[in-house]
This record gives sequence, C-alpha cells and structure tokens, in this order.
Amino acid sequence: MSSAPQTSLGATAPGGARRFAGFGVSPLVAVLIAVLLVFLVPPTIYLIQTSLYTTNFDGSFDQFTFRYYVELFTNPRFFNNLVNACVYAIGSAAVALTLGVLQAWIVERTNTPLRHYVFLISIISLGIPSVLYTVSFLLILGKAGPVNQALMWLTDSSVPIINVYSMWGMVIVEGIDFAPLTFLLLSSVFRSNDASFEEASMMSGAGISQTFRHITLRLATPGIMALLILIFIRAFESFETPALVGRPGNVHVLTTQIYDSIQRTVPANYGQAGAFSIALMAIVIGLLLWYNRLSRNAEKYQTITGKGFRPRVMDLGKWRWLTCAMLVLMFVIMIGLPVGIVVYASFLPYYEGVTAKSFTLFTTANYMQVFNSASFKGSIGNTLILGAATASLVCPFTALCAWLAARRHRGAWLLDQLATMPLIFPAIVMGVAFLNVFLHMPFAFYGTLLSVILASMVRYLPYGMRYSYAGVLQVHRELEEASALSGARQSTTFLRVVVPLITPALITCWLFVFLLSVKAVAAQILLVGPKSQIIAVTLFDLWENGQVTELAAMGVTWMTLMTVVSTTFYLIARRYGLAIR
Amino acid sequence: MTGTRILSAFALSAALLWTGSASALTQEEIGNLQGPDRQKILEDGARKEGKVTIYSGMIVDQALRPITEAFMKKYPYIKAEYWRADSNKIVQKILAEARAKSIVADVAESTSLSEPLIKANVVLPFNSPQLDSYPADYRDPRRLWGPTRFSYFGVAYNTNLVKPADAPKSYEDLLDPKWKGKLAWREGSDSGNLLFITNAIMDMGEQKADAYFQKLAQQKIVNFTGSARTLVNNVMSGEYPMALNIFLHHPVISAQKGAPVAALPLQPVPSLNGTVLFVKGAPNPHAAMLLIDYMLSKEGQATLEAADYLPAHPDASTSPALASIIPKKAGLKENFITPQKLFELNDKAEGALNKYFKN
Repeated sequence: MSSAPQTSLGATAPGGARRFAGFGVSPLVAVLIAVLLVFLVPPTIYLIQTSLYTTNFDGSFDQFTFRYYVELFTNPRFFNNLVNACVYAIGSAAVALTLGVLQAWIVERTNTPLRHYVFLISIISLGIPSVLYTVSFLLILGKAGPVNQALMWLTDSSVPIINVYSMWGMVIVEGIDFAPLTFLLLSSVFRSNDASFEEASMMSGAGISQTFRHITLRLATPGIMALLILIFIRAFESFETPALVGRPGNVHVLTTQIYDSIQRTVPANYGQAGAFSIALMAIVIGLLLWYNRLSRNAEKYQTITGKGFRPRVMDLGKWRWLTCAMLVLMFVIMIGLPVGIVVYASFLPYYEGVTAKSFTLFTTANYMQVFNSASFKGSIGNTLILGAATASLVCPFTALCAWLAARRHRGAWLLDQLATMPLIFPAIVMGVAFLNVFLHMPFAFYGTLLSVILASMVRYLPYGMRYSYAGVLQVHRELEEASALSGARQSTTFLRVVVPLITPALITCWLFVFLLSVKAVAAQILLVGPKSQIIAVTLFDLWENGQVTELAAMGVTWMTLMTVVSTTFYLIARRYGLAIR
Repeated sequence: MTGTRILSAFALSAALLWTGSASALTQEEIGNLQGPDRQKILEDGARKEGKVTIYSGMIVDQALRPITEAFMKKYPYIKAEYWRADSNKIVQKILAEARAKSIVADVAESTSLSEPLIKANVVLPFNSPQLDSYPADYRDPRRLWGPTRFSYFGVAYNTNLVKPADAPKSYEDLLDPKWKGKLAWREGSDSGNLLFITNAIMDMGEQKADAYFQKLAQQKIVNFTGSARTLVNNVMSGEYPMALNIFLHHPVISAQKGAPVAALPLQPVPSLNGTVLFVKGAPNPHAAMLLIDYMLSKEGQATLEAADYLPAHPDASTSPALASIIPKKAGLKENFITPQKLFELNDKAEGALNKYFKN
C-alpha cells in the first residue's frame, strides 16, 4: 500500500490528549483552523468591503455607501437573473445526475460489457477544459453546425432549426460537461454499497429496476443528495457556459452580471459586483445549511463495516447489451462528437461548418503555429504545476480535516465548515476577491504562478473535503475502536487504519482536483499574468480573439497530453484498487 | 540652481558614456529623450533589457504577430512578447498591475483604451521623432498617445444568406422586420454596440436616437461577447447572417480569401483611431520606446498596410481593396470620434444599452 499520504500527514497527526484549556480544542484542530482562517478571512473582508464602497477610477476604495444594495433590490434584472440562474442550475444538475447515476450504476453494479472503460473515458473527458468543451458544443449545435445542417436538410428548411444560444443550450452543455464528474463521485458511492442488500432484494423477487430504485438508489441517497447540492452550486456559480452560450442569446445569470460589472465596464463597477456576490453567497449559504442537516444523519448509511464487506455486481442477463448500447451512445455524445469537431476544426484554415469543401482545405498550419510558440510551452508547464500543486495541497489537508470532523473532535465541525466555505464564493467572485488581496500585498505577488496556485487551492478545498468526507464516512468507527483497543495511539490509528481505507478516495480526490483545477477559467482569468499563463485561460482568450482553428489545435494537443496523464493515473488507481479488494 | 542641474545632467551623460548604463535615466527622461543621441541611448538600453511586452487589441494572426515579428527583425536583440485582448480587458489588466506595483506591460495599443488609461494616470507622455510626420489632428497635445491606425465601422453580412440587393442601405433599414433575430453586435465593448449607440446619438440627437433604439430593440439583436473578429467569423460560418458595427476591414480581408462575407458601410460611418501608449513603470522602457517608434514609423505602418489594416501614417498608403470602406475615398459621410469624445458619451451610451438591449 502507498505510503505517500502517511508521510505527508505524519507530522501533523493528532498526538496525545493535550487540550487548549478552556476550549478543549486539540492543538492540531486549532492549527488547522488557523490555517484556514488565514486563507479565508482576507478575501471575505475584501468582498464585503467592495460591496460597501464606491471605487475610484484605479480600483481603490472611495466612499462608504449602501447604494449597491439598494440598487440590487430595485433592479428587476437581479430577480430575472436569479430565476435564470435557478432554472439553469436545476436543469444542468438534473442532466448531469441522470447521466451520472445511470453510468455509475451500470459500471459499478452490473456486469455490462465494456463498463470498465467508462471510468477511463470519464477521467479523460474531465481533462477537457470547459472552454474547449463549450466551444465544441457551440460548433456542433450552432446555426452553422452539423446538427442544424442535418435538421435543415431533413425539414427542407432554409433557416436553422435550433438555437443553442438559449436556456436549454446552457442546460445541455453544462449538464454534459458535469456528467463525468458526477459519475466519478457517484461511482465510489455505488461501489461501497454492500451487495448483500441487493442480493436480498433480488432473492425476494424484486426485478432489476425495482432493486435499483428501492435499494441501490436509496443506499446512495446521501451521496446523491450531496452531489446534487454540489452540482447545483457549481452550475449556479458557473461562468464559462453562461458567458459563451447564454449571454449571446440574452440569457443572463448572476455570474455573467458580475462579470459584466467587472470586466466589461470601464471603470469597473466593483460595488455592484460585490453586492451581487453577497446576495449570491447568501443563497448558497442557505443551501449549505440544508446540506449539513442532511449529512448529520449520514451514519445511517455507513456501509463499510467490520462485517464481511464485499461489493459485487449484478447479472443483467441479456439486458446487459442494452446497457452497453447506452454506454456507447453516451460516449459518442459526451466525447466522440466534441472531440471529433475540435480535431476537424484544428485542420482548417478557417471554420465554416462541416462541408465537403472543407476537407480539401486541410492544413497542419495551426499545429505548426502552436508548436513554434514559446508561450504555449510555457502555458503547458504552468498548467501542470498548477494542477499538481493544488491537488497535492488539497488532498492530504482535507483528508485530515474530514476525519477529525467525522469523528467529532471538539471544534472540528468548524474545520468542516471552513473548508467548505469557499463553496459560497462563485469562482468569478473568488477571482476578484483574491485579485484584490494580491493587489494589496506589500510585495509584488499579483500575476505570479504561486498566487494562482493559492487561490486555486482555496477554491478546491470543498471538493477535496466532500471527497475525503465521503471516504471517511464509510469507515465505521468500530475499526478505529478495534485499533485503539489494541493499544494504538490516535495518530497510529489514523495513519495505519483510516488512511489505507480511504486511499482509493484520496487517489481519486487528487486526480479530480488536478483535472478540475487545470480546466477552470473563471477564477484564474483575473489572476494570471503574461508570466503565469495557463492553458484554459489561453483557450478562452483565443476564442474571444476569434482564433478558433488555433484554439482547436492547441486544445487537441492539450487533450492528448491530459489523456496520457489520466490514463497513467487510471492504471495506477486500478491496480491499487484491485489490490485493496 | 540651474548650474547644479546642468552639472548633474553632465554627470548623467558622462556616466552614460562611461558605463553604457541605462539605469541612470528615469522613465520620464527616457520618454522625453530628444536629439541625435536618442536612438543610441535607446538601443543601448534596449540591448540590456532584451525584451519588450505589448498589450494590444490588434488581431494576432492579422497584424499583431506580423508587426512584432518585423520589429524583432529590425532589433534582433529584443524579444517582443504580446498579449492580445479587447480594450476593456487591457485597461483592467494594466490598472491591476499598476495597483499591485508589478507592471508587466511596456506598451499598450488599441482602439478606445487611451482615455481610461490616461484618467487612471498609468501612462507617461513621450516623444517620438516619428510623430513629426503626422498632422496635428492625429496627435495628442499632451503627448500621451500616438496614432497607430484607423478603424471604420459598419455591417458585415453573409453573402450566401443575404443578397447584396436586399442588404440595408441606411440605419433606418435595419428596423425592417425581416432582420428580426438575424442581427448580432458586440456586447460590452467601446467599439462594439456602445460605439453604434454613440454614433446614433451624435448623428440623430438624443431624442430621435432614443426612439430609434426603442424600435431597434424589437429586432432582438444578439449580444455577442467575443472580439469583433470572432463575430465576423461567425457571420462567415453562417451563425449570424449579419453583424452590426464590426471593423469594416475584417470582412474585406476575409472576402479576399474567398469567404462568403461582405463589408457594408452605413452613413455616417463611425471611425476611431487606434492609439499607442507608454505604460508608467514599464520594466523595459528603452525597448518600449523603440517599439513605439517602430509602430509609428512608415516602416512599421507598412506592416499594417500589408495586413490590410488602415495605417494612420499620412504617407502610408492603404491597400486598394479597402477603398470601398474608407469614407473619404468612397465619398461617404464619416463621423470621426476622438478618444475623448467617445469617453465623454460612454455613460449615455451605456444607459441606452442597458435600457433597451439587455433584457
């Protein structure tokens, strides 16, 4: 078994029963809380300040005012955007969950052929930057895209049939974009379900779908609920899809309004952005409180116990070919088409839909341009460092926090709350908040790669936390009690019992924090400088600058690289996972 | 007093001669350098700096890459790096860098970014001998910017989807119901829909313009968020049949390559000039001045001409293909909007935009 997490955690593992007098909080918990506060308090203060001050032309604060809040509630657009954001978030969460649950169940609980490849494919698709993914769907579903071309041919129409720049377009694109993440998060939930419940159900005469609905789904409910909230929030605060898909069709949400106030207006209207952000945060806080009430009852669902734990798959009989066909179809929609159109565009001198003529124009000029560009190589290096550093900081840290919180160490609930707190910042707002923290640093910190890494780490703490928490929750206390009874100290128990048990969750955590942080745009776009360019932001710039074909070539190159990274990890994780079972 | 100053100036130039060190000059002094030594001082300094960074709104593959490459050919010891973005983003970036006191940009160039940068006090005045060739109206009396290029704005339409005979002939024609849902313009950029609105306000007067916007809003114009060049690409691909207020030279460039797109100026044709500015705190001030010189020189302007951009230099010719979109040559009414004027009218335009076109 791996020893990597052990060494990194060993130094800070809970040692002995020394307590801070009065609070009864162990030094370890106190230190962790302090670390979190250092990262969270400055951006929060800045954000509140922003909403309460008018800003000078250069962006510094001027006078105290409540007018941005007054404007908020007198502005009909705010409510309009709010409703849009809700519809959009619910819609994309529904799409992502439907696809994710279906996939997770097929892969983890059935004997469908080819199912093991879904894991690999999902990880690969997670490596596609959101911007590239969104752009690819715009190319496919756009008015000049192949879908409209086919529909126009079928209906003999001279005008495009579907308009992707709309609410449904946003929902579809975002939902599909989130599906792989949903699947990856759910697969561990489904995997850890004890198969004996399902077997009992089948033996009592229930069919496959009945068992799925009444047993599998029910057991996975806390995991699914947590995910639902997570995706809802992610969609609610997402920026790329609303900006690229919704805005051109006049469908505005809160984040695009914030972006408008900050980036599209000179001088930037930070006050309005601040007030919008605070309102957005208030809503998200409500959701999080709800989530906490849900997870408090999580013990009911602990499924890895000291009793013979053996996840097993269900035999679907001939139905397995149907589920296999579903997997293939999902693969085509989620990966085949987007990647295909991007590869196609990367060979064109200019993009103008899919036509017979285009194929005669094929050129490698875009790739030449990309490979000869020093800044592209710099971007690749920066992006890899960013992802690896973020994941390596987030995973061990959150594993420790999650365990302390799950085991109800005094004060550790605060760790959970604090590490989850970044969720209440929309990515774009976190970008602004950190931007201004960095701008106020006494030394030149803005624009450095380190600054981008720090912001990225804070941003992905909640994701690491959810993943670690889910892993820890499944480990029943009795295993640790057995360890303690055998005379092990608490630190030994954590390192020798807990960490090995949650290692599969930690590995997946690392990989997915890595992949999420390298593909994100919204927080980073405000923080990177020319010396800390990263791929996702470069792609966003290229789209805005109209260099679609170069964007495609760069995107294909990056996807290839990410596929190598993901596949390597998949193989490692798989070998490791098998060893555990 | 004067004696000391002369003396220190002496000491300064002596120091320069001895060590060849450029660090003795402040950025202000570098910007204001004059006389026969200027070129040598700049070149010596730039040799040490070895690089220069420009933030520009010029389209990379059309103009920005060619002009920086040509510059590097002239000064092989300077590595010119560029970052391309729309004006507003460039402004935000430079303001942020200024606040963080970690300036990366040496030179800023775009249409409609000069006034915000000047107002925020993040640029310095400069002298360039090249400016002498430009007529007074193209120059800034404060010497805070130099003119790089002109841009004329109008309609681009897809020639497969719109027949030239059906294309609108005036702003009034845009109100025809047949255009409903078929128009797009660039959102949130001073040279996009804001310029369209500003031009209409200047042309029609506020009241008439307001009535016009009310009707135009019925057309449900798509608020496109990418660059103007991207919007034209989308017209070429058939995504939008027609785009308002794009840079007219963009469709001309593409039409020459056989793309199904045409440029269509509507009168009065709004026009802006691109400006180049010297960023305060520039890490490579000598190289920055050489780059500014180059961009304003006839030689640098020729690169723009070759790219079918519209150079500002009075001696530079424009490519014949562009004759149809240059109001003076095509006999069209032009509305030249100075950077100051555009900035003044910004709030009004923003107000109309929010009122009519953003819901």
